[in-house]
Parts: sequence; structure tokens; C-alpha cells
Amino acid sequence: MSEAKSEILMFQVGPRVFAAEVYDVIRIGSVHDVPPEDVVGATALGVPFARRRGIVVGDHAAGTERALAVDQVIGIRSVPETDVHPLPAFAAACLQSAAVTGFVLVDDSPTLLIDLPTLVREGPAAPADAERT
Amino acid sequence: MRDPTELARRKGAGRTPAAKRRGGQDDAARLTALLRTFSEGRLDGRADPASFADPALRGVAEALNAAAEHVSLRIKDAEARVEAVSAGVDEAIEAMVRLVIQGDLSGTLRLGVTDAALTPLIAGVGQVMETLKRFVTEIREAALQLSTSSAEVLAAATQNESSTSAQASAIHETTATMEELKGASHQIAENAQMVAAIAEQTLSGARNGEGQIKAFMGAMEKVRHNAVEVDEAIGKLSRRVERIGTVVEVIDEIADRSDLLALNAALEGAKAGEAGRGFSIVAAEMRRLAENVMESTKEIKNLITEIREATHAAKEASDGNKRMAAEGEKLGGSAATSVSGILTGIQETSDAARVIHLATQQQRTATEQVVQSMSEIEEVTRQAQAGSRQATGAAAELTKLAERLAELVKRFKVE
Repeated sequence: MSEAKSEILMFQVGPRVFAAEVYDVIRIGSVHDVPPEDVVGATALGVPFARRRGIVVGDHAAGTERALAVDQVIGIRSVPETDVHPLPAFAAACLQSAAVTGFVLVDDSPTLLIDLPTLVREGPAAPADAERT
Repeated sequence: MRDPTELARRKGAGRTPAAKRRGGQDDAARLTALLRTFSEGRLDGRADPASFADPALRGVAEALNAAAEHVSLRIKDAEARVEAVSAGVDEAIEAMVRLVIQGDLSGTLRLGVTDAALTPLIAGVGQVMETLKRFVTEIREAALQLSTSSAEVLAAATQNESSTSAQASAIHETTATMEELKGASHQIAENAQMVAAIAEQTLSGARNGEGQIKAFMGAMEKVRHNAVEVDEAIGKLSRRVERIGTVVEVIDEIADRSDLLALNAALEGAKAGEAGRGFSIVAAEMRRLAENVMESTKEIKNLITEIREATHAAKEASDGNKRMAAEGEKLGGSAATSVSGILTGIQETSDAARVIHLATQQQRTATEQVVQSMSEIEEVTRQAQAGSRQATGAAAELTKLAERLAELVKRFKVE
């Protein structure tokens, strides 16, 4: 019996790499293809350098789609579910954003797991928050 | 002396007429004999008038006696006068000689003789004395003047000797200098010849330089022409590169779209779970290809950027080449003009050097002649110097003689 795996999307905002569940992503496009009002640039993850790609995420509450501007979509990785860990309570209490839900070990390196719908819903974060994140 | 009339008287005493006639003839003969003795200068004879019978003869005898007596007296007077005059002459001559010997010409000649016949003699001696006095005075003045003149001559001769010595020394130095000048002229002539040879070589080199400048200007013209062609080629290359850039942009856009498509395909495959695994593998492969293409286009873009920079640099270099070629042509023209001027100058220098060479040769010849002349002058000056010495000696001797003459003349007192 094969080991259960999680499909996660690796992307980069600024200098940092983050991970997200593929099921949260509707599609990946170019930010130029999305109306500017639907593009989410600055988030709790920071401000992208180039805004090259847009990860389209559904806003279930509003029933709309919004594009999270990122610098690069690195790809899709299948990782064992055992490598996916929830965020420790202490860490969660320290963070103001609810979009960071845990971390995943990718090639033995911990990468923050982001809840993209929550992130785009939160919208732009204060610079101090983004920096602290 | 026996009296002839006495003899006649003795013969006539106691005679006859014939004897008386014969006695008359004897008286006349006696008188004649007496006259003959008178004519012979013997005036001491006398006739005895008493012995003459004839009165006429007696009177003649008496007259003869008286005449003889008178003549004898006159002769005695004359002899006494002659003696006195002779004594006066001797006295005058002796006095004159004494004055001359004593050298005292200041006084006048005083004689004890008062005979009138000596008056002309005394006057003549006085004139002689006056003449002597005048002569001595003039000789004294002349001796004084001669002494002064001889002193001046001696000074002048000494000065002349000194001048002649200085002149000889100067001529000797001048001769030595002329010898040096001759050597210098020789050296100058050789140097001028060397300068002429160097100028000739320089002229040849400058002509070569002129040819090389012309070749350089031709090369510059070719460089400028090539630079224009290179500029045009660079323009074409730049346009081609821009076209390639455009194509690469299109390829990059396509690759980016392909990457997006592959990402979405992979995303859908991942969402599909196990069923979409093969799809995901294909999508991943597509994405890798797209990424490869993008990497390639990125490299191409980098290359294009480098080519653009290189083209820009080449364009600037080409423009620089054109400017430098134009500048080079201008400089070459200036250099050609300068070299032309230099050629003219060198030609003139060469001509001048030749002229200098000829002139210095003539100068050397002239200097040699001058040296020869100076040697002759030196010889003449040496002779003149010897003559000056002799003249100085003669002047000194003349001065001594003048002084001696003055001393001698001083012996005569004229005042």
C-alpha cells in the first residue's frame, strides 16, 4: 500500500519560498491577464519583486476570483502527508495572519504552508506584520 | 862802392882839348853807369858834381844825387811802414788766435797799431770775429736745438722700438691666431661638409617620409572608407539583432505561455490525484521544455544585449575610426605640408651648407694667404725692430754727440 501524499504548490514571494495546497488554486496565469483591482500584491507574505505570475484563488464568501501576485511559481511537489505539520500553537498565537496554517518539509527544509483563500481575503497587511511574518 | 864820376874826374885832369873832348865823353859814361846802378836798385852810389867839367853834366850829376837821396829816403820810410804794418798784422792775428783759443768771443779786438793801412784789416778781423760770434751763437742754438731734437728723436726711436716690439709681439700673436683660425677654418670646412652630407641624408629621409606620409594618407582614406563600410555593416547587424530580439521576445512569450499551460496542466493533474499523475508528468516535461526555452531565450537576450553593447561599442569605435581617419587625413595633410616645408628648409640648409663649405674653403685659402703674409710681415717687423734698435742706438749716439757739441760750443763766450 502506497504512502499518502499531499500535492502542494511551491511559489516565491520576494526572497522567500512558500507552499500551498493545490486544491486552493483555481489556475495559474499572468497578472497582466487579470484586472488590476483583482490582483493582490502586498500580503502578509510580503511584496513580490516582479509580480510575474498570478495565482488565481477563489473567494468563496464573495463568490469571486482574485489573483495573488507572486514572483515565481516554482512547481508542484508531492510530499508525504507525514511531512505536513500544523503550526504550533505558540507560533500561531504569535502570528497575526491566519493564512499561515503550518509547514511542510520539502527536501528536508521546512516551508510555510499558506492558506491562499485566507491570504487573499486578509488582503494587504501592515508592513510591520509582513516584515514580522 | 866806388864812385864812377870820381873815376871819370881823375881821368880828365890836366888833359888837352882832344883830351877834354874825350873827357866829356867819359863824364857822360859815368853818369850813364850811375843811372844803370840806380835802375838795378842800387841807390847808394853818387856822382861827384865837381868832377864834371861840363856844367850841364855837373847839374845832371847833382840832380841824380838829389833824386837818389830822395828815393832812398822814401824807401826807408816805406820799409819802416811795412815793418809797422807787419807787426800790426801779426798782433791782430795773434790777438784773434788768442781769442779763438780762449773761446772768448764776447769782447772786441783792440790793437796797439794805429796805422791807417791796417784799418781794413782790423775791420776785416772784427768782421771775422763778428762772423765767428754769429756762427758760434747759431751753432750753440743749433746744438741746443739738435740736442732737443736728438732727445726727441731718441724718445721717438725708443717709443718706436717699443711700438715695434709690441707690434712684433702683436703680429706674432696675430700670426698664431691666424694659424688657429686656419685650423678652425679647416675644421669648419670639414664640419660644413659633414653638415652638407647630413643635410643630404636628411633630405633623402624627408623625401622618404613624404612618400610614407602620402602612403599613410592613402591608408587613412582606406581606413575611413572601411570605417564607413563597417558602420553600414554595424547598422545592418544592429537591425538584424533588433529583429532577432523581436523574434526572441515572441519565443519567450510563447515559452512563458507554454510554461503557464504546463503549470496549469500539472496543477490539474495534481488535483486529479492518481489519475492525473501521467498528465502531471507530461505537464512537468512540457514545463521543463518551456523553462529550457525561456532559459535559452534568456541567454539569447543576454547575448543580444551583449551584441547590442558590442554593436554600440563597435559603432562608437567605427565613428571614432571615422573621426580618427578624418583627423589622420587632416594631420597627414598637415604633416605633408610640414614635410614639404621641411624639405624646402633642408634643401636650403643643404645648399647653405654647400655654400658654407665653399666659403670656408675660400676662407681657409685666404687665411693661409693671410698667414703667409703675416709671416712676411712678421719678418719685416723683425727687421724693422732691428732697424728701430739701430735707430735708437743711433739716436742715443746722436744725443751724446749733440750734448758733446753743446759742451764744445759752451766754451765760446759770445755775450
